Amino acid sequence: MSIEEQYRTRAKELLSGGAVKMVIGYAKGTAGNRRRPVFISSPDEVDRLVLDEACIANLSGYLVSEGLLSDEKRVAVFLRPEGIRAINILAAESQLDSEQIVIFGFDVSGNEVKALKGIHVEEFTEVIEAIKESAPETTNEELLEKIEKMSPQERFSFWQEEFAKCIKCYACRQACPMCYCRRCIVDSNQPQWVNTSSHSLGNFEWNIVRAFHLAGRCVECGNCDRACPVNIPLRLINRKMAQEVLGAFDHFAGMSRTQEPVLASFKKDDSETFIL
Amino acid sequence: MTKILLSDKLDNCVQRWKSAGITVIGPVQRANISTYAAVEHASEFDLGIVLTDRSIKELFFPQTEPMLRYTIKKDAIDTDEFMPPAGPRIIFGGRPCDASGMAIDDPLFGWDYKDEYWFKRRNESVIVSIACAKADEFCMCTSLNLSPDSSKGSDVLLRPLENGKGWQVEELTERGREAFTTIADFLQESSDKVAPLAEVEKKFDLETCVDWLQKPENFESRFWKEISMRCIGCASCTYLCPTCHCFDIQDEGDTYSGFRRKNWDSCSFALFTMHTSGHNPRSTQSARWRQRIMHKFNYFPGKFSANSCSGCGRCTRQCPVDMGITETLQEISKLMQ
Amino acid sequence: MTEHNQQTNPNIYKPATMKIVARHDEAPGVKTLRLEFQNQLDHEMFKETYRTGMFGLYGVYGEGESTFCVASPETRKDYIECTFRQSGRVTSALANADIGDLITFRGPYGNRFPIEEFHGKNLLFISGGIALPPTRSVIWSCLDQREKFGKVTIVYGARTVADLVYKHELEDWQERSDVELVLTVDPGGESPDWKHRVGFVPTILEEAAPSPDNCIAVLCGPPIMIKFTLIALKKLGFDETNVYTTLENRMKCGVGKCGRCNVGSVYVCKEGPVFTAAEVSNMPAADL
Repeated sequence: MSIEEQYRTRAKELLSGGAVKMVIGYAKGTAGNRRRPVFISSPDEVDRLVLDEACIANLSGYLVSEGLLSDEKRVAVFLRPEGIRAINILAAESQLDSEQIVIFGFDVSGNEVKALKGIHVEEFTEVIEAIKESAPETTNEELLEKIEKMSPQERFSFWQEEFAKCIKCYACRQACPMCYCRRCIVDSNQPQWVNTSSHSLGNFEWNIVRAFHLAGRCVECGNCDRACPVNIPLRLINRKMAQEVLGAFDHFAGMSRTQEPVLASFKKDDSETFIL
Repeated sequence: MTKILLSDKLDNCVQRWKSAGITVIGPVQRANISTYAAVEHASEFDLGIVLTDRSIKELFFPQTEPMLRYTIKKDAIDTDEFMPPAGPRIIFGGRPCDASGMAIDDPLFGWDYKDEYWFKRRNESVIVSIACAKADEFCMCTSLNLSPDSSKGSDVLLRPLENGKGWQVEELTERGREAFTTIADFLQESSDKVAPLAEVEKKFDLETCVDWLQKPENFESRFWKEISMRCIGCASCTYLCPTCHCFDIQDEGDTYSGFRRKNWDSCSFALFTMHTSGHNPRSTQSARWRQRIMHKFNYFPGKFSANSCSGCGRCTRQCPVDMGITETLQEISKLMQ
Repeated sequence: MTEHNQQTNPNIYKPATMKIVARHDEAPGVKTLRLEFQNQLDHEMFKETYRTGMFGLYGVYGEGESTFCVASPETRKDYIECTFRQSGRVTSALANADIGDLITFRGPYGNRFPIEEFHGKNLLFISGGIALPPTRSVIWSCLDQREKFGKVTIVYGARTVADLVYKHELEDWQERSDVELVLTVDPGGESPDWKHRVGFVPTILEEAAPSPDNCIAVLCGPPIMIKFTLIALKKLGFDETNVYTTLENRMKCGVGKCGRCNVGSVYVCKEGPVFTAAEVSNMPAADL
């Protein structure tokens, strides 16, 4: 039985038995290898679920949509390792109760989809530790290397050109599971911390502020990068921040439900090189 | 015999227009995105793509623009107005769906109060569209009673020649004729055939959909929640759409001086209709999605006799979660059956 | 009217400069400002176009603009009065402004109360709390031409005595023999020396039982008050086409372009803010 069939069967069982009220997964999209999020509440609809190497998006963000988990029922969700890390972070930040989440874990290497065993987020600790150790490549590794070789001046010009394209659609924020604030900092107007205009300053402010707010929290799922309608290589910024945080504080986001948020906790041996 | 423009003469035209003081703008690839930008040479154009990622709307209604600069003095406030940069422009090589979007928005920006920021730019621009010989699976102009060779909103329509050497020229308006008189010596007569138009299959029946939308009892249908469950509430679709025009007025500055700006805004944002009291008439994403569809296909046509959609398909092409207008209207058509 | 606007200023987003010539604390957090035009042409345009019911966008440069009605009547166009509650960035800036400060005004926009259609009729004004300002604009437009109208009854209530606005004008109306004023506060909102009624506006209205014959009702208030007052008016025999109300919605441009204020297909800034109760009941309630 293919993993897709396995998971469809599993979804059907959970829904008909009432163990979960909804399964959030992937369905075929408009064209080609597009996949779209789908919300299955009835066991009769499980055949809409698909699972293949094109299922890339991180669906964990839907778990913090308003009211979804407030009836204390359980929800099943298809997640790659990044998505599982996201559950840990959301639980650590008190945004959801991970007991309500039933995980249909999977990972893709090459063109092959393999199932990850486990139901609750604690069962995936080894998988996540393995990722931390192996430091896998992301897409756009070439571009990252190119930027690493640039001088600060050149890097600034590079990002200036990229941010000039930004139209402040906030697709990056909406697609990101970690951007769950009901009132984002850009929505504050007393004072207006971040300009909403998409001029050079406004664009820089937005993208840099978001990168900082994600430092130590980003799971590098790439949702932001894929969502951006003007092709700004956003995941590189977040990857850089993640690398910095790992180097400075040995913090890899999403290890467990009890991991303290790196910018909200202090350890005596924290590097203090920024304090002159 | 018809008038044609050969592509190897295009740069001559660009230079001729430029020397007449006209800025030439067209589809280019810049920083990994295809958009409209001013060019120095025709070689910069990227005319073979199905459609630019960003729409022509930005040339008439930019994401952000200053309207006034204020300087507060002791007993007076000085205001400098910013009007759009002057100067004639030719927008060459866009698609008919983009051009039609501008024509669709004209009555809105002129509804009783004329928005000079829009019209100044409109009056100084000549739009030369190229009909489509290829389309992709997201195009849906034919479902909106438009077509790959629609003339709506264009001043000149070019049709690609079958031999790939250039375009057949059809001057549609006075402004278009003027612009092409400037380059008349680069045009020639020909009996070369025009390439077949892209085939864009109809994706939904618009009349059926509009009927459903106009029924008051469907305003509160469960359909809205079901169809919009995956919508994440970003503004990708609205910002890339040639006809979407919602905006915000923001002051940036301090108590001494600053700017009052007009910025894009989107009905998909959660706080778009939030009142100071805390009441939000559209507090759920499904209410916001309903507003989008109703506005485009019910309210706007009710006032301006045109659907607020040109069928370009960018909404679905770019949507991070594969939503977009097409699927909603297709599902509505099914409901009516 | 809009033609004239464009002639004096082709930039429809450019506001007129106004000087604050008087300010008054109406209630906790609620202020009235009286504004005078600083530019002759802007003032001429206002005098030509303003009719009761229209609204404007009042702003402070550096903070933004906010929408309120014009609280002064069409019979007094030498100045503009506005009354607002301090609740956000712009209203805080307006509340902190001093006499002599300059603020901005864009407008007047929207539609109007068809006052000529009220000639010869009895008038019933019903309002609650901070919603008295738009009603007050109509009240004065009528009282300034008192002979043109029949009986005038005003029913006004607020949560507490302190929350009543236009307290001096309420006293004036109380004293006039050609106006019947019914004042009330919500149960528990009365002060020890309160001499008037106690009870919610819709209840008090039913008790007062004004006759619907040849009568126009003008009703402005918070949504919940409107809902119950409409029920009371219906019980008293009023037809929805003879009941006028104003709708508020979040606005930015005020001229029908920014796409924000529509309730269903109706743009509050262009086809409102004045509507009959019949028109409101045709709007999708879920969008209000």
